[in-house]
Amino acid sequence: MDLNNLDSLQFFYPEIVLTGVILFLILVDLVVVDKRWVGYFAFAGCLLSLWATLRLYVAPEGWLFHRMIVLDNFSLFFKVVSLVAALSVMWISFSSREVRSVHQGEYYTILLTSALGMFFMASSTNLLMAYLSLELVSLTSYILTGFLPRNRRSSEAALKYLIYGGVASGTMIYGMSWVFGMTGSLDYARINEVLAPGGMNHLTLFIAFLFILAGFGYKIVFVPFHMWSPDVYQGAPTPITAFLSVGSNAAGVAILIRFFFPAVSRLGDEGNWLFLTGVEWPHFLLYVSMVTMTVGNLCALNQQNVKRLLAYSGIAHAGYILMGLVVLNNEGLKAMLLYIIVYLIMNLGAFLVVVIVANATGREDIEGYRGLARRGAAIPAVCMAIFLFSLTGLPPLAGFVGKFFLFAAAIREEFYYLAVVAIINSVISLYYYARVVKTMFLDEPSPADQQVLMTPKDSALLGVLSSLTVVFGLYWGPLVHYTNESLRFFMK
Amino acid sequence: MEISALVFYLLAAITIGSAAIVAFSRNIVYSAFSLLGTFAGVAGIYVFLGADFVAGVQILIYVGGILVLILFAVMLTHRIADVQITNRSAGMIPAVVIIAVFLGLLIQSIRDTPWAKAKEIVYLPTTAAIGDFFLQHYLLPFELASLVLLAALIGAVVLSRKETKE
Repeated sequence: MDLNNLDSLQFFYPEIVLTGVILFLILVDLVVVDKRWVGYFAFAGCLLSLWATLRLYVAPEGWLFHRMIVLDNFSLFFKVVSLVAALSVMWISFSSREVRSVHQGEYYTILLTSALGMFFMASSTNLLMAYLSLELVSLTSYILTGFLPRNRRSSEAALKYLIYGGVASGTMIYGMSWVFGMTGSLDYARINEVLAPGGMNHLTLFIAFLFILAGFGYKIVFVPFHMWSPDVYQGAPTPITAFLSVGSNAAGVAILIRFFFPAVSRLGDEGNWLFLTGVEWPHFLLYVSMVTMTVGNLCALNQQNVKRLLAYSGIAHAGYILMGLVVLNNEGLKAMLLYIIVYLIMNLGAFLVVVIVANATGREDIEGYRGLARRGAAIPAVCMAIFLFSLTGLPPLAGFVGKFFLFAAAIREEFYYLAVVAIINSVISLYYYARVVKTMFLDEPSPADQQVLMTPKDSALLGVLSSLTVVFGLYWGPLVHYTNESLRFFMK
Repeated sequence: MEISALVFYLLAAITIGSAAIVAFSRNIVYSAFSLLGTFAGVAGIYVFLGADFVAGVQILIYVGGILVLILFAVMLTHRIADVQITNRSAGMIPAVVIIAVFLGLLIQSIRDTPWAKAKEIVYLPTTAAIGDFFLQHYLLPFELASLVLLAALIGAVVLSRKETKE
């Protein structure tokens, strides 16, 4: 279906609810005395939007708003992912000491606006919408990064993020202008019609895609667009770091898949995608993927700050996720979606433990985790170990399942080098993840180290995330089923 | 050469020439002022392409708003000229080589590509048509852009306000 503005509204409730809540929060912040209510309202609004999103699974697929965005299982999947990320991050924020010092109304408003931007990133089928939604997510990310008042690191991180982001999105829109120049259209379906028969200059296409990749790549954080991430991850308030690492990463993957698969490739009979012939794009991504995971893991080896370590580990994971693109088939894309869910769970968990420790001690360096298990925080320490081993990809945890599907997709398409590099990288990553675990369990705490206690809210979320990590490691059937269903694009 | 081509090349030269001054001038005030040439040159190209509304907006917002803002920022910032902004980790020569290679590739591919050209330029008022598009086909991007601006506005206020004791 191809609906006009008015008819589209009935399939637009998640976005309408979210926008309404955003505007409502700005007003509520002026009225309520106990500012914690702002956060609770935002949480409730997000739940409402999630409910509206889930209801759309029975709706027919199609274009909305004159082909600006599309409603299909793929976009719904990423809407659910960004809402779950936003909900968890809000939950973490409720008890975070860092967040208590900031203006609650604006904090939650901007956080929800960012989630709304991710909605559009996942569903745009028009270059203009893709650009605007990416800008919305970027702008809100800069603001959230610099949110801590009188904090040098936070301000520096926001500034660096802004400058890198500005360059990346400028490069991207230049690439988009080339695509527009070649096809005469901003609409993905029309671009596909013009490009699919071939005959376009390969070099021009390659350059245009390279420029566009700069914008998407900086959201997903792969090399060479990764430079901002360690500083930003370290400087931003920790709940926001968690949000950026899972939400904005996932939205970047969404916009990348949407552009490079339904918009410029053709779907073959056996679930394989035929990229424009003559453009050596998959090979290029192959090298990007290998370099990204290697750089991420090698840089992580020497980090002393846990947030920085998780930033480099995030770069490495972006490399793993890219493996699913290289193989150019639906199996790879499904593995990517699966990995996004798994990564969401385990990375949020790891950041939650970072927040718990920082709430109690105010420290984020690995030294601050000495003997954590013996400082009244045995449960967070065990959970952290679960998350870190899952990030490494050890069985029987969810991370193993995620990596298994990605590696299997690469091996089935005979990308042996890629698989070998990825496995070597997983082994390297074991070193620095295990170093944190060793510090938590084997090192003696010094008498000066404080006790680490957690709030009931934190322990509830920690319980949910860690049990999901274990459960999905043993019983991944429903997860695979869900991601298989989610890989449905509406193209014509 | 036709007169229109002559006008185009003149405008392009003004744009690129001022942009070069922006990039290479050692004095940041000169850089800021030569942005005027770039913005005005681009506005001229818009007029040349028959996009009257966009040209007007370009003058109003870029020259009237952004440029003035930049000038204020430059003049009000303490010791702005003392800041060493050049990145010393990579030298001039590698940069020139990379840019030259890249420029060569760009020019070659621009020449070889059959661009989708507009049939002819019509010099008619465009404002009404743009207004129609904003409220019909492009309603959603229009609304999304307003949300982007709202978020930026709130963010600017949050980041720049003084902390009050509560």
